[in-house]
Amino acid sequence: MSAQKRLTTLFSRYAVVIIFVIITLVAIPPSGLSIKYIVQEIITRLGRNSFLVLALLLPIYAGMGLNFGMTLGAMAGQIGLIFAVNYGIANWQGLVFALLVGLPIAVLLGWIAGLVMNRAKGREMVTGYILAFFINGIYQFFVMYMLGSVIPMRNRAIVLSRGYGIRNTLNLESVRQSLDNIVMLRVAGYSIPVVTFIIIALLCVFVVWFKKTKLGQDMRAVGQDMAVAEAAGIPVEKTRIVAIIISTVLACAGQIIFLQNMGNLATYNAHDQTGFFAVAAILVGGASVTHASIINVFVGVMLLHAMFVVSPLAGQNLFGSAMIGEYFRQFIGYGVIALSLVLYAWRTRRAASDARLGLQGPQNDSVKGNGGQA
Amino acid sequence: MNDTITAKSAPQSKKRRRLVQGGLLVVYILIMVLMVFTGRRHTILIDNKDAADGSYSAIDGMEVSIDNQESAEYYPGDRDKALVQGQRHTIQVTIFDDNTTIEQEFTVPLWSDMMIISVPKMVAGIEPWIEPFTMAEQIQEAQESGPPSGEMSFQSLGGVAPEEIELMQPSP
Repeated sequence: MSAQKRLTTLFSRYAVVIIFVIITLVAIPPSGLSIKYIVQEIITRLGRNSFLVLALLLPIYAGMGLNFGMTLGAMAGQIGLIFAVNYGIANWQGLVFALLVGLPIAVLLGWIAGLVMNRAKGREMVTGYILAFFINGIYQFFVMYMLGSVIPMRNRAIVLSRGYGIRNTLNLESVRQSLDNIVMLRVAGYSIPVVTFIIIALLCVFVVWFKKTKLGQDMRAVGQDMAVAEAAGIPVEKTRIVAIIISTVLACAGQIIFLQNMGNLATYNAHDQTGFFAVAAILVGGASVTHASIINVFVGVMLLHAMFVVSPLAGQNLFGSAMIGEYFRQFIGYGVIALSLVLYAWRTRRAASDARLGLQGPQNDSVKGNGGQA
Repeated sequence: MNDTITAKSAPQSKKRRRLVQGGLLVVYILIMVLMVFTGRRHTILIDNKDAADGSYSAIDGMEVSIDNQESAEYYPGDRDKALVQGQRHTIQVTIFDDNTTIEQEFTVPLWSDMMIISVPKMVAGIEPWIEPFTMAEQIQEAQESGPPSGEMSFQSLGGVAPEEIELMQPSP
């Protein structure tokens, strides 16, 4: 392979990461933020978001692409939190309670998503995205009408004044940062939420272990080639459903961790951008639709959020409006996803074309040879 | 022979699996119940007011803390709140006059959101010194009892009574 071709391959594989590093480094000086502040923000956001992004790994291993359907798990987590606030269960106990309430809902929604995606093989990402819109409708109906009317609510403060439905914003003061504050380590002026990071580390260990299990190996086989996996006796559809269920359950827990750190819940739209930002983060980390690793998760969260921290202030200082930075943030988020998908499609097409050329080479020779013989 | 063993062990393994599943479900529910019992938060109102019937009077000055939380000073007429989690708690009262410290344990019912502790009542040994507190009940009680006789009201200050308003003719 020529040096130029190697460089092109390297750039096309890591284009998003390289672009992001450049943009972030360029934006830091005009933002006027100190490195210490940026590092502290990144530590906080790593604890807040990593779990959610890690939830994307298993469907990628199973060849189902980026699970935009993780929003379903986020909704389950939110329902759990609404009940925790309703029953006045505070602190980490409230988070465990929310998880226990959300878990069966996440399993059910994950199972439904898996069934639907099995009927839309090859189009899992767009199916997951649209499915999230559909389940969002059911979620809105449940939260806006069922809670308080069919399902009695104890805490009147969270119910709309009409007597049913949950208020637009819930104050999660009772569980706010209860996980982060169990052990908050202060090192060199930085606050590190130890327990949150331990939970994230445990999830990483789980992912590594899971890949080595029979089910994990089956998932990778299914991800590489469904037909071959089927022929080898692997229950392809069941394996794919399990991958989506695990991802949805992890998204449920991830959303609870995310919201406890934020301290409030936008009842009707907190989950809207969950899948979008998690997908953007893993892509920024260098993952693709078919390949992802734990490293991609952490690199992605750090880079994406470093950009999120600096861009509004850089926009404010450069253009006199923080909104420019905010638009930039949205533009970069969607742009990253679009660029990754385009690069992935381009790479796949080029790999296919290279393979075809490789096959054509000897064939042409043989044709020539045959021709000569003829 | 092997087929017979397999045929016998199949229902047994199915039964075992169901038992394990049932056990897990019970553990799941038990953890949920445990979280409710240990995590439920209650508001405790700490009251230092005179009794309406004069049976006890407010303490001149004291320091109160619940479950070793940060203590606060109370003077006659004061009322403040503390947030507690779980059912069993301890209240510690230090009276400034004689510098005595009183410690009492109390239990909050699981589904009670708000309780009121009357510290003068507790110090005087009058039961019950801890009672459920509901805002709606308080408003209702206040409305039913009306203003006490002799207390100043807008009418007593020379205001116009509603009946008088109806009788008054608009001046041209």
